[in-house]
Amino acid sequence: MIVFDGVTKVYEPDVSALDGVSFVIDKGEFVFVVGASGSGKSTLVRLLLKELEPTRGKIIVGGRDLARLKRSKVPMLRRNIGCVFQDFKLLPNRTAGENIAYALTVQGESRNSIRRKVPEVLSLVGLADKMSSFPDQLSGGEQQRVSIARSVVNHPPLLVCDEPTGNLDPDTSVGIMQLLYRINRSGTTILMVTHDREMVDKMRRRVIALEDGRLARDERRGGYESE
Amino acid sequence: MRFRTLTAEAWRSLAANASTTVAATMTVLIAMFILGLSIGLGTWALSWSNHVKKELVVHVYFCVTATCANDATKAEENAVGNMLGSIPEVKSVNFVSKAKAFRIMQKHSPELTKGLPSNPLPDSFEITPKHGEDVELIANKIGHPAGVEKINYGKRTAKAILRVARVIEIVFLLAVIILLAASTLLISNTIRLSIFSRRREIEVMKLVGATNWFVRGPFMLEGLICGLAGSVLAVVLLMLGKEIALPAILGRISESSDAHALAFLWTSLILLGFGIVLGAAGSGVTIRRFLRV
Repeated sequence: MIVFDGVTKVYEPDVSALDGVSFVIDKGEFVFVVGASGSGKSTLVRLLLKELEPTRGKIIVGGRDLARLKRSKVPMLRRNIGCVFQDFKLLPNRTAGENIAYALTVQGESRNSIRRKVPEVLSLVGLADKMSSFPDQLSGGEQQRVSIARSVVNHPPLLVCDEPTGNLDPDTSVGIMQLLYRINRSGTTILMVTHDREMVDKMRRRVIALEDGRLARDERRGGYESE
Repeated sequence: MRFRTLTAEAWRSLAANASTTVAATMTVLIAMFILGLSIGLGTWALSWSNHVKKELVVHVYFCVTATCANDATKAEENAVGNMLGSIPEVKSVNFVSKAKAFRIMQKHSPELTKGLPSNPLPDSFEITPKHGEDVELIANKIGHPAGVEKINYGKRTAKAILRVARVIEIVFLLAVIILLAASTLLISNTIRLSIFSRRREIEVMKLVGATNWFVRGPFMLEGLICGLAGSVLAVVLLMLGKEIALPAILGRISESSDAHALAFLWTSLILLGFGIVLGAAGSGVTIRRFLRV
């Protein structure tokens, strides 16, 4: 699903964010990416979305070499990667339903199919009754659920989450994790960047740890810290 | 992108950002109103200066006994007439016989002609140049052929008139250029501010996989609508000014003159076109920077 091969990213003038990182993530995996602030986690996500170009190395997502992907094809790439962010990134002047509908409209879905899919995915994340609420009328956990609903409504093969529970209290976080777990069970590959030590230790999934831009650890059933 | 999606998206953000919409429309309104005023005033001034230039003519006076001891012969007059026909800057030549000149003088100042024993006026040519600026050139080209007493083109007046006319033209051109630049800057600044305040929104759109044109389309349509609304309002204001304020100020003065401003229809079309293009293209260009997500 994802191949990082000796990926190095150097920001101008010479701040090295990632240094020769290599790993392979298979289809259907649930992978945590952990590390201190500034260890290169966010850079990794932005490289995946082709928001940034790597200085050296090769990135393959879904069988496509990102370096060879034309700029005009980037929207297509992003439609195949669901994104969930710490700050939700919902459009503030659209309701929950409209936010999800926008992701579908962008792909040229018909109005009928949008009208069918939006309530479906909202009830999947347990917000069937919040269809016409605006983001500022929703709690943080609810906003994150809307954002997850938006990211999976197209059934992307890959879901990238950048600290999805970073702004949420522990109980709410558990709910979000359960939701992500369910999505993973349905076959979606999930790459989740996180600081949430407890969650990583409890889930016992594959852990990729970054330290100062280097790959420090890659364990099949790891914890937040090396044991 | 389908047309309905495009208009729906544009309409949504126009309504959601009402204050920005109003600000942008007002900016276009003010810029286009001032531009319209200067076009109106400027073209009127240009037409006035052209009108004045048209009055510039060259007179060739032939000899009479009183001035050169003997009258110019018909042959001499014909020779001058032929030469005038061959000067390219000359638009038309009008022969004024001494009898005709006397009649004109009788009409204009009868007290001068009263009691004159005979007609003292010479035959003459009245030469209208193609361009007012050429009167001096034409006078020089004619030179001093036999039988001509003097050539008159109102040297001093002509120079003064031409200078004033040139100043008017330059001032008008400068004013329009400066106003065009200023209104472009003003409008593009408003657009930049409105797009800047929504850059997060654009970022999110790009992250969920919107193509550049999917984001840009509605913005351009918005700009186009604001530009259209602003310039239509400016045209309405100018029309009110023309119909109500102008007659009150000028009274009947302007009726007699053949100086006219550019037809109002054309001014309106220029303003509308400029407003629309500036609104749409301005948005389209400005948004580029924010699409690099």
